[in-house]
Amino acid sequence: MTASLYRLVYYSRNHVSGDAAEFATHVDDILAKSRQNNRRDEITGALLFNAGCFAQVLEGPLEKIEATFERIQQDDRHGDVSLLALNSIAARSFPNWAMGFVGTSNGDAERFAGISASSGFDISRLSGDQIHTLLRDLTIEEEAVA
Amino acid sequence: MNVATPFTTMTTSQTVDAPSTERILENLSHPVLALNAEGNIVYANSAAEASFGGWVIGLNIRDLFPGFAPASANVAEASSLVLVTKKDVAYDATLTPLGSAQFVLDLRLSTGPQQLTIVPDLDDLTGLAKRNMFMSHLTGAINRDDSASVAVHCLDLDRFKMVNDTLGHGIGDLLLKKVAERLTGACRKGDIVARLGGDEFVVLQHEVREPADAEKLAARIVDLVGRTYVLNGHTINIGVSVGVAMQGDFTQARDILRNGDLALYEAKRAGRGRYRVFEAGMDDLLHKRREMEIDLRRALALKQFELHYQPILDLSNDTVIGFEALLRWKHPVRGNVPPLDFIALAEENGLIVKIGEWVLRTACLEAASWSDGMIVAVNVSPLQFKADTLLETVASALEKSSLSAERLEIEITEGALLDDTDNVLQTLKALRELGVKISMDDFGTGYSSLSYLQKFPFSKIKIDRTFVASANADSEAILRAVAGLGTSLGMAITAEGVETAEQLARIRGERCTHVQGYLTGRPMAPEMISSFLARPKPHQ
Ligand SMILES: Cc1cc2nc3c(=O)[nH]c(=O)nc-3n(C[C@H](O)[C@H](O)[C@H](O)COP(=O)(O)O)c2cc1C
Repeated sequence: MTASLYRLVYYSRNHVSGDAAEFATHVDDILAKSRQNNRRDEITGALLFNAGCFAQVLEGPLEKIEATFERIQQDDRHGDVSLLALNSIAARSFPNWAMGFVGTSNGDAERFAGISASSGFDISRLSGDQIHTLLRDLTIEEEAVA
Repeated sequence: MNVATPFTTMTTSQTVDAPSTERILENLSHPVLALNAEGNIVYANSAAEASFGGWVIGLNIRDLFPGFAPASANVAEASSLVLVTKKDVAYDATLTPLGSAQFVLDLRLSTGPQQLTIVPDLDDLTGLAKRNMFMSHLTGAINRDDSASVAVHCLDLDRFKMVNDTLGHGIGDLLLKKVAERLTGACRKGDIVARLGGDEFVVLQHEVREPADAEKLAARIVDLVGRTYVLNGHTINIGVSVGVAMQGDFTQARDILRNGDLALYEAKRAGRGRYRVFEAGMDDLLHKRREMEIDLRRALALKQFELHYQPILDLSNDTVIGFEALLRWKHPVRGNVPPLDFIALAEENGLIVKIGEWVLRTACLEAASWSDGMIVAVNVSPLQFKADTLLETVASALEKSSLSAERLEIEITEGALLDDTDNVLQTLKALRELGVKISMDDFGTGYSSLSYLQKFPFSKIKIDRTFVASANADSEAILRAVAGLGTSLGMAITAEGVETAEQLARIRGERCTHVQGYLTGRPMAPEMISSFLARPKPHQ
């Protein structure tokens, strides 16, 4: 019996300071740990960041998602964690990624505008690709106001 | 001849005749037990049988000592603990592993209260220490001769009750566990986190070199505990208020805890979701507030309250159409206590519900004697809405006074609409069905969300006095905008706090329909009303 799948999406403010190299080390560290734990926990998803923010999608069994989010929530390397969505899903959008990673912010605002007009922030109706776009755009937005 | 004494003449030959270990154990004067991995008693010596009432083999160790909890998961070494029976007899115990998951428990009656060992007394749900255990830790820490001092953080969860009420106790319990975990995570090893009951926690922080150390932890607790929880698919947001007390030179455990509580009280008063560090004046403040509260509780019975009435002027024809009832407290010693000084307190302790009821009844009774059609406006606190008796109170006040419902105007503030809006809206609708008018008071001071105006068709909006008092362009623009909005929604607009002829002239130009203020009439005692109404029209 497989537990039903859930997806959690959040974004947060990056608290890692220092130069690019230092930042890269932190991100590498987060990714390595994430991939290791997530593989164990049957969690897949994607993480992205730009200078100001992280955004992440986690998908997997609810219990595991909750436990992982509880750890992530308390991580000093970020703060102001805002939960955007938590809902059950029929299938994974990132079946092959223990933690996929998108690190650069290439403005894709027009594409985002199309998505948000048709589905608002209803993450569950977006494909994995669209979630990327959405999250990337959120981080870009945040960067603009920061 | 000391050869006769058996203890001094041990020779090697006698060791051969040594009694069996079994016999020795059986003749020990203190209890010895052996346990298996589950804590079941597999051996008990005679002293143990005698001490614990007979046949104990086969019982679980927790049947004898409900609080039995080995200090650590490290079962490779002997550990000492204090165990207390159901009848509160304390034993100093040593638990020694025998290998192959068996243990021997050596028990000696505790020598007295001054022992430094701490009785494990753990909360079933969270596994945290309970009050007694916390107090022993605190006492121990204070008495330790140590240059660094300790701090105590008293915690109270904000909105926990709501989680319990809406999502059920199961989720509430899960949440408490998570909070316990986060607290433990925020603290350093050696710090003690305890649950005092319900949603009350307390933290003992060691090695506080300077106040900033304690403030740092308090801020971290507020931050961490306030972060979103995800439990069984529910997203939960709560907050925590923290009161911090530092160890002073002569403080006792109880004093520190009390100071922390005082600071917690201040943190909650300051709006929750924050910490406050204890300051010397806080007990004084609380003391004063307590006295005021005692007086306030008596005030109703001693008939120290009075209502005064401030005229409400209709600008279309410059006639007085009624009065707003204003509460006065005449205290025999304090004199006239302004509402600002006691309403907040009455709301804090719930007295406002009783007081508000008196106000409604009295205002209706007095208004019933006024000339035909005069309305009476009565302020109602958000808490009266929550109390669920408002509708009943209003209906019965109208009935007893024979005042027709159209002559009563209930004034509510935005605060009433902030939480539990559906219930409030229901009550408002029911009140309106009685025929009572409802107005929105102090508009412009709080959130002033326009959506409030859309949610309920108020009969009237009262614009706060600050917009009337300041003659700057912003205030005027706001006044005009709200008046315009109200007019188009079919609501009357009252400008409050009109004090000068110049202000009155300005307000006339802004589509306000009514005014209230010193210029058009000060609050007056009820017996002044008839002569006030009889005098010739004063304004223009
Ligand atoms: C932005 C961000 C994303 C993270 N994502 C994950 C994740 O997907 N899975 C995970 O196990 N840990 C993640 N972490 C790390 C956790 O916060 C935590 O450090 C880690 O789970 C601890 O694992 P451990 O208990 O196995 O040492 C993330 C941290 C940050 C700052």
